Amino acid sequence: MEMLLMGAVLSMFGLAVSCLAFGAATREEPAAKKQPAKAVAVNARFFADTPAAPLAAHTRVPIEALLLQIENHVRLEQAAAECFLESPNSALLHSRTVSSLVN
Amino acid sequence: MVDADLLKGLPAAEAASVLELGKRTLLTTGAELFHLGDAADSIYLIARGRLRLTLPMQVRSREEDIMVEERSSGQTVGWSALIPPYRFTLTAAAPLETEVIALSREALNTYFAAHPDTGYAVSLNLASVIGQRLQLFQAMWVREVQRMVESRCA
Repeated sequence: MEMLLMGAVLSMFGLAVSCLAFGAATREEPAAKKQPAKAVAVNARFFADTPAAPLAAHTRVPIEALLLQIENHVRLEQAAAECFLESPNSALLHSRTVSSLVN
Repeated sequence: MVDADLLKGLPAAEAASVLELGKRTLLTTGAELFHLGDAADSIYLIARGRLRLTLPMQVRSREEDIMVEERSSGQTVGWSALIPPYRFTLTAAAPLETEVIALSREALNTYFAAHPDTGYAVSLNLASVIGQRLQLFQAMWVREVQRMVESRCA
């Protein structure tokens, strides 16, 4: 009888250990599932950061090219301002520019 | 040169008399005519060639002369010589061989005192040159502010 009780207790203990192990194993799974979500979040941030890329690209533009862009921008803006002065109206004052410096 | 913007409307003989007050100066390619902050004693008519008017600007932590205006034959630069405090507010340099006629403030003032009609006509022309630049830069400034507002509100 004692042996039977001992076996039952050990079985219960084994079952409990198995349940804990299973629980721990299944708890890890959602955590593992979160990993792709994290990756998605990282991806989303990557895409959100893409506007910064041209800025980084700008810093790679040689300074001579940048100075030419600025000069070209000034010329375009003067031409636009001259057009406005020839025929002053709001549309000409705020006409869009093709300047690479602001586009 | 008698049809220069500063001499517009003057009888040819009168325009020629004003030009005789000037001194012709030849600028080689890249030469600077005047520098920002220098004392301005003469106004310049461009006889041939071109002048780049620049202002300093910080570009990548480096000071660069940025072109804000370009003037060519028949146009006037350096009117700071006639307007107190007589300091140049821009730097002028020749991107190619350029010839200018330098008219000193002293010579002009003496001549205009003796020929007030000519002085009046030249003053009107000068006001026109300054006014055009003012209007041009007002428009350019508003365009930049508009872009700034759009980028802030986007």
